[in-house]
Amino acid sequence: MSERDPGTATIERDLTAIDDALRTGAAAHDDPLARELQELALALQADSPEPDRGFAEQLGARVEAGFPAVGGSVRARAQSAGAGIADRFRVAPGSFRRLVPAAAVIGGLLLPVVLVATLIGPPNGSNEGDGAGGGGGAVAVPEEAGSGGGRGEAPDLQAGSGRQAVPDLQAVPGAGSTPAIAPPPPGAGFAPGERARKIERSIGLELEAPADELARVADQVTAVTNRHGGFVLSSSLSTGGDAAGGDFELRIPSNRLRPALRDLSGLATVRSQTQSGRDVTREHVTAKDRLQSARAERRSLLRRLEQADTDEEAEAIRRRLDLVAGEINGLRAQLRDLRLRTDYAIVTVALLASENGSSEEGGAGATFDDALGDAGDLLLGTAGILIRILALLLPLALIGLLLWLAAGPLRRRRRESALA
Amino acid sequence: MSSTLVRSRYVSEALVEPLTLMAGSQTEAFADLYARTFPRVYAYVASLLRDRAAAEDVTAQAFERAYRKRRSYRAGRGTMDAWLFGIARNAALDELRRRKRRAGLEGDPEDLTRPAPDDQAELALRREVVRAALAGLDGRERDLIALKFAGGLSNAEIGRILGMSESAVGTRLHRTITKLREACHE
Repeated sequence: MSERDPGTATIERDLTAIDDALRTGAAAHDDPLARELQELALALQADSPEPDRGFAEQLGARVEAGFPAVGGSVRARAQSAGAGIADRFRVAPGSFRRLVPAAAVIGGLLLPVVLVATLIGPPNGSNEGDGAGGGGGAVAVPEEAGSGGGRGEAPDLQAGSGRQAVPDLQAVPGAGSTPAIAPPPPGAGFAPGERARKIERSIGLELEAPADELARVADQVTAVTNRHGGFVLSSSLSTGGDAAGGDFELRIPSNRLRPALRDLSGLATVRSQTQSGRDVTREHVTAKDRLQSARAERRSLLRRLEQADTDEEAEAIRRRLDLVAGEINGLRAQLRDLRLRTDYAIVTVALLASENGSSEEGGAGATFDDALGDAGDLLLGTAGILIRILALLLPLALIGLLLWLAAGPLRRRRRESALA
Repeated sequence: MSSTLVRSRYVSEALVEPLTLMAGSQTEAFADLYARTFPRVYAYVASLLRDRAAAEDVTAQAFERAYRKRRSYRAGRGTMDAWLFGIARNAALDELRRRKRRAGLEGDPEDLTRPAPDDQAELALRREVVRAALAGLDGRERDLIALKFAGGLSNAEIGRILGMSESAVGTRLHRTITKLREACHE
């Protein structure tokens, strides 16, 4: 209120006078106009309707009792019919209406989340993606450097184990689209009655390591081979320059193949792995049978030689014995060769220099760096998803908020239309 | 008027009410609120509806609704009187909308006051003049007058209920009561 605003001053004076009259119950203002307003205010107050005593007592009793159900009402009938539980969950009128905007907002928030979650979907264990999933059907299992499998992920020979799965070596031999090792030529037949199968196994590994770690990895390849009772059949290593790398041909006892492969895979990042198996049981059985026959013939020849009557007959038997002896020697060699091929798996390791350069730059040896990189990638991916979700949610939430804000005034306006 | 139904005649009374209904026995606290506001709530509702039976129904409905929603009261959003009158006003307006065709605000009001035996002729005449002037106001003006003089609310509380500022309520109230005064002179 200010002196230069007589209108506002008059209003303030009159309002104060009215409140004074209402408070004191008397109209005693000095100004006639203000006093007249005071009298009018008192008249309006005095003319206010008064409640009926009976109604007041009845309502007062209900208030004291906490508004129990009134006899004859729907609620009372429901209670008398044993519907107390339903009444206990009775929602006040208008509660649902109030929940509508909130439900719209929540629904708007949840819908995109569900959609995004559905679109992204959980890992399905297929070979799609970075090769971290299981892949029982594929023989060649390429693995990119620094991907989910990463370094130290030992191949598991049990197919379907969920890790870098390798098919059963006794499965169909020679399968694979790009075998690094040509499988031995298939033999004729498969000796179905033989229970102890003889399998030739060939494994190819491509390991990738920083150029300055090739020598160390090469030494460890030899060490791992020796530790598992195998031997290095041939090796070559070249360090420095563009052609840095190495090749190893190993023989590893078949019964140590699985742990040996696990250790070899742990030496560096596995870029690819190929393997093949060939059942040579029939060849083995055939050679053994022929050897037994040859030995039996030799024993027979020796007996006949002892009983030979003439020199000519004895000479003929000796020539035959020489032939049989040669055959026996050949069969022994064949069996020995077969035993070597089945008792020892052929493992070829190709050692490659990684394109990342040295280990200081984040090569295969930088496990902590790899972990940090993976964590960063994961965070980036998560952030990307969150940003997309937010891009969907924000407009929807804004619309829901606007609707919610507009609902109140709209309801008020509709309600107050009764006063118009 | 009985002693238990003493109607608040003072605007400032609403300012000394307890800030919370939740402490202690809720039913007792609500009973206190009821005892303090019932006559005013009824007077306000009856002033709006101009129908004794409907006013009783709506008043009872308003108190029951307030009782059921008593946990939703927040002291920071205004006094409890304003909260209760807001509920009563909504109930009365809903009733008005339902029965607008049958009992519009422009219709002849029912005589809701009971004349005292010693009611003097001059006072009765004065009351008739005021009523006639009130009939000349529109619904929103009558609502404001009812909140102020029948409900006994402060301008700030009325502002809370109507969604206006206290000063806007004062200005509108002054304009309305001035209009009423002029109508009384006609």
